[in-house]
This record gives sequence, C-alpha cells and structure tokens, in this order.
Amino acid sequence: MSFLAPAFLGLAALAIPLVALYMLRSRRQRVEVPSVMLWKEVGPAVSSAVPWQRLKITPLLLLQLLILAVFVALLARPFFVQESELGPHTVFVIDTSGSMAMDGRLDAAKNRAVGLARDASEANLISVIEAGTKPRVVAAFSQDAGDLVRAIEALEPGGAVEDLGAALRLARGLASPDRPTRVFLFSDGGPPSEVGPVEEPVLGVRHLWFDSRDDNVAITAFATDPSTEGTARVFVEISNFSDRERTASVEVAVEGVVTAVADIELGPLARGRDTIRLDAAPGDVVTARLLDNVDALGMDDTSSVLIGTGAQQTVTVLGEGSLFLDALIDAVPGVTRAAGAAPDLAIVDGAFAGEVDRPAWYINPERPPEGVTVTGFIENAVVTYQRPGEPLLEAVDLSQLAVARAQLVEAPGWLPLVRASDAPLVLLGEIEGRRAIYFAFDLTHSNLPVQVSYPILGARILDWLGGGQAQIEAAAPAGTPIATAPPEGAAVVVTMPDGSERTLPAGSTLFTDTAQPGVYRVAYDGEEGEVAQGPVAVRQFVAAESAGGSRELQVVAADTGGADTGRLIREWGPRILLVLIALSLVEWWLGHQRPWLRRRSLA
Amino acid sequence: MLLEPELRAQLERLALRSRRRVRGMWSGRHASVQRGESLDFADYRQYTPGDDFRRIDHNLRARLGVVLVRLFEAEDELPLHLVCDVSASMGHRTKLRTAQVLAGAIAYMALSGGDRVYPAATPGRHTALDAAQPARHLGGWPRLEAWLESLSPSGPTNLAAAFQAARHRGVARGPFVVISDLLSEGWGPALDLLGAAGTGGLVLHVLAPDELEPDLSGDLRLVDAETGATIDVSTSETTMAAYRDAVAAFVRDAAARSRRNGMDYVLVPARPGAVSETILALAAAEVVG
Repeated sequence: MSFLAPAFLGLAALAIPLVALYMLRSRRQRVEVPSVMLWKEVGPAVSSAVPWQRLKITPLLLLQLLILAVFVALLARPFFVQESELGPHTVFVIDTSGSMAMDGRLDAAKNRAVGLARDASEANLISVIEAGTKPRVVAAFSQDAGDLVRAIEALEPGGAVEDLGAALRLARGLASPDRPTRVFLFSDGGPPSEVGPVEEPVLGVRHLWFDSRDDNVAITAFATDPSTEGTARVFVEISNFSDRERTASVEVAVEGVVTAVADIELGPLARGRDTIRLDAAPGDVVTARLLDNVDALGMDDTSSVLIGTGAQQTVTVLGEGSLFLDALIDAVPGVTRAAGAAPDLAIVDGAFAGEVDRPAWYINPERPPEGVTVTGFIENAVVTYQRPGEPLLEAVDLSQLAVARAQLVEAPGWLPLVRASDAPLVLLGEIEGRRAIYFAFDLTHSNLPVQVSYPILGARILDWLGGGQAQIEAAAPAGTPIATAPPEGAAVVVTMPDGSERTLPAGSTLFTDTAQPGVYRVAYDGEEGEVAQGPVAVRQFVAAESAGGSRELQVVAADTGGADTGRLIREWGPRILLVLIALSLVEWWLGHQRPWLRRRSLA
Repeated sequence: MLLEPELRAQLERLALRSRRRVRGMWSGRHASVQRGESLDFADYRQYTPGDDFRRIDHNLRARLGVVLVRLFEAEDELPLHLVCDVSASMGHRTKLRTAQVLAGAIAYMALSGGDRVYPAATPGRHTALDAAQPARHLGGWPRLEAWLESLSPSGPTNLAAAFQAARHRGVARGPFVVISDLLSEGWGPALDLLGAAGTGGLVLHVLAPDELEPDLSGDLRLVDAETGATIDVSTSETTMAAYRDAVAAFVRDAAARSRRNGMDYVLVPARPGAVSETILALAAAEVVG
C-alpha cells in the first residue's frame, strides 16, 4: 500500500502519550460519605508514591490504539493504483453535429464520457471540448467529477456540420508539458466520404465510434424564391434514407398558419421534390414539417425559410449563352435580363472575358479573368470534393455531376468549392474587389442543368454576386453566425428556436451560437428600456447530416511516453472514514456503558 | 404530615411496655417503684404511727399478734426520653426522614398511652442537645410533630454529651429511645452511660442501604460528611468484602452493646416501609404491645 501523504504516519507516535495516559494514576475522585468510620477498618488503600501504575491492557485501550492507527492512516491517504483509460490529462472531444442526433448516438457518447469522467481525480484531470461548428471548451483541467458530468450532460446535438479538425487542434492546444495528454474523440466520424472531416490518420487520438442508425426521412432542402407580387414559391426536397418505400406528408405553414400539405412518394434511398406556391410576403417565415414521421432523427423533420424582399437585379449574358442560362434567369425571382447598358451582374459564358467591371459569373470563358490561369484540360471529370459548410452549396448535391471536358486551372487566392480530384471545377474569388465565380466547364458539356440542384445553385450564385441584395437572408446552414447591428449601448437579445433567450453584451455584432436549426429573432434592448427589432434569421439542419453516415477514423496511437499513463489512483479514504466512524461509536459505547462492569443492585 | 392516619390508628392500639418499674411524676399505667393506691396487693410492713388505720390487716393482728399494714402497687406514667440523631451523617439518603417518622411513631404511641415524652435532638444548634418541650397527651402531638418536621441534619455527633444532658431533664427517670446511625467514634461509651444509669430503653439503628452495601467503584477519596476527614479507598472485590465485614461487625457490636446496657436494639434500613417493619419488630420483641 502506498500513501499520498506519508509524513502523517509520524502521527502514530501519538500512541506513546495515549499509553502513558493509561499508565498514569488517575486523580482520586472525591466522594462524600456519611462517615469514614467503617472505611477505616477496611485497611489502607492501594496507593503508591509514584504517579505510574502497571499498564493494564484493556479493550478500551486496544480500541483507542486502533482508532489512532486508522486516523493516522486516513491522514496519510493510502491509495491503490488501478488500470484506467484516463491519462494524467485527458481531453474529451464530443461531436455534437447533427448526425450525432441519429438514434441516440450523442446520448451513448455522453454516457460513455460520463462513465469515464467519474474517475476524474487530482491525478487524472479531464477537459471537455464540444465539437460543433465552432469548437469550444466546456470544461478545462477539471478534477471535479460533478462539474464534468454536468458539463457533459448539458451538451445537445446541433443541426450543423462539426469541425473536428478545429476541435482536435483545440484539444492539442490544451496539452500541457507537465502532463501527458490523451484525446478521446466521441464521434460518429462523419459521413463515409473520401474526404473525411479531419485529415487521417489522426495522430494521438482514440476514436470512440458511435455508429448506431435507423430509418430516417428528412427535409434535405427547403428554399424559396424572393417574392415580388405577394406570392412566393418554395422548393422542398424530402430524402428517404431507409431501404423501404415511404410516403412523406409535408405541411407548409406561413407564420404558423398551415397553408399547404403535400404528399411525396419516396422510393428506398430516394429523394422527392415539390414546388409549392404560397401567398407570403417578404419577411414571412415559412416552415415545412413532416407529418406523422417517426424516425431516428427528429431534428431534420422541420425546416424553415424566410421569404426574401424581391429586390431586382439586372444581368447580362456575354458570349454564346444557352437555353439553360436563359431558363435560370427566367426562373430566378428578382433577376431580370438587362435592357440597358449597365447591368448589375454579368455572366460570361464561353466568351472572351476581357475587362468586366462588375460582379461576374465566368462559365468556361475563352480567356480566363485576371488571377486565373488555364493550364490544360481534363476529360470526364467526376466530382470528388464539395466544400462542406459552404453557404452557396447548402442543400446542393453535386455528387452526381459529370463533366465531359473541363479546364485545368490554377487560381491562387481563389477558393475551390467543387473539385474533380485536383482539378477545381467551381471557384470563388474577387477581382478588384468585385465578386466573381468561375465554372471551369461548359454547362452544356455537363449534366448540371438537369440536376435538381441547378436552379438552387444558380439562384444562390446570382444572389451572392449581387451582394446579397435580396435583403433578407432566406436561410443558412445551422452554425452560421448571425450578424447584428445594435444601436449604441443596446444589448442584443436573441430568441432561440426553442423559445429561450440569450443576451449578448452591448455592442455585440455577431451571434455564433446558432447550431440549433430554426428561427432566430434578434431584438436590441436599449439602455432606457426601449426595444428595437433586429433581423430575423433562419438556420437549417445541414442536409448532409441527415444521412447519419459514419466512419471509424483511422488513428495513430498517442505517444504518451510516461509510465504513469493509464493509471488511476484510488484512495482508501472513504472506506477508512467509515471504519473510523464505526470504531469511534464502539469506543464511545464501551467508554460510557462499560458493559463488563456490572453495577451492583442496591439492597 | 409526619404520620399517615392509618399509621396513627395502628399506633393508638399499641402501647409501650416497660421492663422495669418506673418513677413517674403522675400516676399512669406502668408499675411504679413506689407503693400506691391501686387494687394490686404488694406487701406488708410494720405499722408506724401515722399510718392509715384502714390499711391495718386485722386478720394478721388477731392470728399473729403483730400490727401490720397492707401495701398496694402504685402505677405511674412512663417518662420517655426520645433522642433523635440529626447530625450531618443522618442527612444521607432518607435516613433523617426515617428517623423523624420513627420518632413520631414512638412519641405518638407513648402519648396515646398517657406517657410523658421528653423529645430531644442531637446535636443542638449550640449545645449537644436540642430539647423540645415535653408532652404528656395527644394534645401536645401537633407541637411535637411540628418540632420533628423542623429538624435538619448538621454538625457532628456527640451521643455521650447528649445522653448526659437528657438524663437531667425533669425529675422523672425513664427509658431512652435512641434513634441514630451511631456513626461516631463514641457511640459505645455513650450507650454504656445509659446502661450505667439504668435507664433501659431502645436503640433504633438507622442505616442507609448504600451504607450497608456501598455502590462505589474506582480509586476514591472518601470525605466524612461530619468531620471532613478523608480516607483513600481503592475499590476492589477484596475492599468491598472487607467493608461488608466491617458493617456486619458494627451492627453486631451495636446490638450486643445495647442489650448489655439493658436496651433493646433494632436495625432500621432507611428504605420505604421501614417504619412499619420496625413497629412489627418491636411488637415481636414485646417492646410494644
């Protein structure tokens, strides 16, 4: 047995004065009697000149020595070592993305984490990181199991994509030189795509994989056209992630009033879409909800969107153009073909780009704009990468996109949104402060125009090029921050989708806790009590999370190095304390009742 | 109330018996050392001038030719000296209360029999004896009862001085009733003093139960309640056995010495029911009847 505070063993020397007290003659107790006349005949009392007497070993003495020994042992803090999964410092990275809401994955992860957290001690510190869109530390270097359990239990799944890379970087940042740090990743590992949520193999991480799943039917896309005439169209896409046919009933409500119900037949692992025209004004919240849908993931059964303002953008098409572009321009509300010479936007379709002095959409231009260099061509390009979390690509599935021939471009400073292997197909950038998007392929040489997502993508591109002049952001993926512009001195009060309120300090311009899908309403609470309404924002459950895909990440074991890793120090203290209390009670009973000294009954 | 009505009724049916002739101031129910006017014939004596002619036995003068007068027994009251020990040692447990009730019972019995009672307590406030006013009949009982109730324990015991002072009370000579724990070194000579005076009487030896069987343990310093003297005692089975032997010897000595001095002896453990038990014991010993 080892001791954490062996110096206290020296207190065992207290046994010496304890024994000495038993050897000391006790001072005689004075008792008044009617007369000592008869006692004189008893004979002299047994007494001695020295204050000591021979030690009598009594049960009370033995018990008190035992209590002293137990007390000293308690102070010396004996412990035993137990094998443990925890290290001197262990960081729990808990994935709270939307897919972790599938079939109780997050609950299972929390239970596992709580079980480990109960072993937290001075020698086994634990930190907890919530791996959402914006990873954050919810507990740092804690030895308090209660605090840790509360922090873990408070985690809730969001509707966003997790940023595991950032979460793991944050975890490594918590490593301290004096304590070897282990990282436990509680995650489903993200969808089984070629490009995972984090670069693999992951170094120094133990992946606790939670992959339970069940049938799920989800609203994977819900978008709207800006309204110009008091009416609006909403596009709704329902995905069936089960292997049996389903019929989904979608209820669409404007500002809480049900205005339409649509039934969509869904084959196994198939999607169904519908377009519904609504009588809704700009700024109205439109909510779609799956009726009577019981599945493994409930958060994606509801989605909302805001009706835009319908501000008009003019666009001109330079180059040959195509039927698809014409149809897109006609289909996208708020966009009209330019009649004059000063359009707001330009679409350069296969033409010589030249000097375009306005935001432009370059589609396989004959000569690329400044900053983009065509180095060759590739044939039969297939999409291998779609930038996750990109607002332009939200609810846009380009996995089926096939391109017969595409330019092989180099564009330093441009952001690739879609790639075919190493060849970027869609890039985002700026030319002299003007927004620009570059398609490295001809629309007519691809199947994009026949993709369901084409009008959505096209509408978003035109809206983005116009600087988001739709005024009202229709929707954004969960986790996207909400920009606020409070008056001077006013606090920002955000009403969350679940009805709760969050108050930000005065002057806050960004609200980032938007992992919850739904409608966020912002109000500005002035210093003198006046309340001004702020923006209304909608955050949607990220469709990619609805599939509930999971993968076991490839990891490389951590090199914790030290011999003290994987050990859990457990103290005997609580058990010893119980023994001490029991012995003390027995000692008190013996000392006061003295059962071995039977009192004589009076005659 | 010192005596319960039931006890009083019982006591009224009893009377003290005297084993000796008494010399009382007034006639009573006890045989006197003097000759008197009763109907019981006692003796003859020579006629001397001045004798009552009516007592000359003419039959004897005719038959024997001598002039003798008939003498008859006299009956006097019993002058009872009641000495109650109220020293500090009597304050232990219920000893004093037991002594008070016993004294009251004896006095009530005597008064109801027409005897004279000389009550006294020892020690007195400033002297060895605190003597109360004598009483001769039950009319004096309330005052006597009040006096007994007023007694409280204090001071050391000096039985010899107390008996000496009591003997000189009044002109009558009568028996002594001593109610005491006898816990003083001079208890023996004091009884001898009464024996030498030929008073006779009764010793009621009052001891508390824990004086007979002490409940003590450990190393103790015992303090005498009267003198303040101390003695160290280490209790053990041997010690307690020795004490019990000492108590037994003490009781035996007290009984023997009382009888040797012409006095009856009864040991009275100070516990509930002690008075009734004592009355029964006295009746069995024909001290009362």
